[in-house]
Amino acid sequence: MSYTESDLRELLNDHGHGRAGREPSAHLDAIVRRGRRIRRTRRAVTAGTALAFAAVAAAGLTGLLPAGAQRGEGVAVAQRPVDSARVVTLGPELPRTIPVVLGAPKFDLGLIHSRRFETVGAGQKVTFTPTSVYTGFSVVCDDPRALVVYRQRGRSDEPTGGSGRCGGSISGHNDKMSVPSDWLKRPQSLEVWVFPADAPVRKVAEAVNGCRPRDEKCDESAQIAALANPEVRRRLSALVGEQPGRWAVGIYDRPAPAQAPTASASPTAGPSVAPTASASPTAGPSVAPTASASPTAGLSVAPTASASPAVAPTASASPAVAPTASASASKP
Amino acid sequence: MDDGFAEYVAHRHLRLCRMAYLLTRDWGTAEDVVQTALAKAWLAWRRIEGDPDPYVYRIIVNTHASWWRRRWRGEVPAATLPETADPRDPAAEVDDQAALWSAIGTLSPRQRAVIVLHYFEGRTLTQVAEIVGCSPGAVKSQLSRALTRLRVDPDIQSMTLEGVRR
Repeated sequence: MSYTESDLRELLNDHGHGRAGREPSAHLDAIVRRGRRIRRTRRAVTAGTALAFAAVAAAGLTGLLPAGAQRGEGVAVAQRPVDSARVVTLGPELPRTIPVVLGAPKFDLGLIHSRRFETVGAGQKVTFTPTSVYTGFSVVCDDPRALVVYRQRGRSDEPTGGSGRCGGSISGHNDKMSVPSDWLKRPQSLEVWVFPADAPVRKVAEAVNGCRPRDEKCDESAQIAALANPEVRRRLSALVGEQPGRWAVGIYDRPAPAQAPTASASPTAGPSVAPTASASPTAGPSVAPTASASPTAGLSVAPTASASPAVAPTASASPAVAPTASASASKP
Repeated sequence: MDDGFAEYVAHRHLRLCRMAYLLTRDWGTAEDVVQTALAKAWLAWRRIEGDPDPYVYRIIVNTHASWWRRRWRGEVPAATLPETADPRDPAAEVDDQAALWSAIGTLSPRQRAVIVLHYFEGRTLTQVAEIVGCSPGAVKSQLSRALTRLRVDPDIQSMTLEGVRR
């Protein structure tokens, strides 16, 4: 079957006009608001880039100067931007460890990988190589009211995760009942979205599915539950755009076995120095330990802080939904 | 807003949404794309000389392309188009339209933009080239590939329609 150009024109016209009675209306205020937001973000990114350049330039200068001169007057000037760069890296502090709270053996998981972000509003993917089935994570935000959604692959490959107000931090960990069978065989990833505290979740959730599945009031907990819906996240992300807002995500795990070949196999090292100017989705594998620890007994994904999503073991061995006051875990 | 931006939005918003819908195939996303494009146009409004349409179209096309790259898409491109039994059958015409609409969905963002700008917006290939930011030759090549994929034969033209347009 072949078509003519007229067929094509007719079809485009039909579809382009196919929304009779529901024409989108122009909201000048919303457009201008979004414009201002874009301008703010651009300025923040420009400022961050300038500081990063200053830091790199200063580091280069310091390295080029003779050792003796580094104690001199001129060097102090060159070193100032390095301090400025430190200001850029400031942000919410990731805990050095998170405790395993469920299961018989109690131990701490050390930080093996971290990423810092300067903007909120877009999803970010963190890739890491687990060293055990207990791999955990922690998300910390500058704004405790920021909305956090996280997703990972569950035991049966279905996406699992949770959402809630950041409240300082949101964290959790896996166990052998919650991770997929290939958890230790390949790099894994965690997707995290952080939205501004005032993101119009209710408006978007109601537009997407009427704020189901909770109730018609679409209150705070219903809105947080609605963030499990990928369409809600997609539209919300498009609506709010990227805005300045600092947050970080840390991946935690058990120490790799002593014979692990990589230097980074010690997960109890302090917070890693991750790129701070990155606002783009992360994709590359982390420098996490590559050797896998043998899984030991354990139970289920569990909250590790008061603001964490409470997740209990289920018969299907995947994390169950147990919303708390500020967070909920779910399977979309 | 006394520099014409408000008037432009009031005048062109619906048309821009329709054009964006043909690119995105989702009204919600289309409105988002248009709002983003207009917000960016608002930032540069005083620097835009003459007709703002090409500038806004360009932002829409680029925004759609970047969102398309960044996001998961529910549509699954089909390797083959569904064949219909009898092209003269009235019921088959509906199927034909659906097949063509579905085929448009399999085009790359750039090819879709060229098709929409040329056949829906009535822009010449030179204007399309300015909007999508490439040479007229590249646009011709994109258009040719897109039409082949859509099984649209440019040689089979309705003379009346083409005569009116040219």
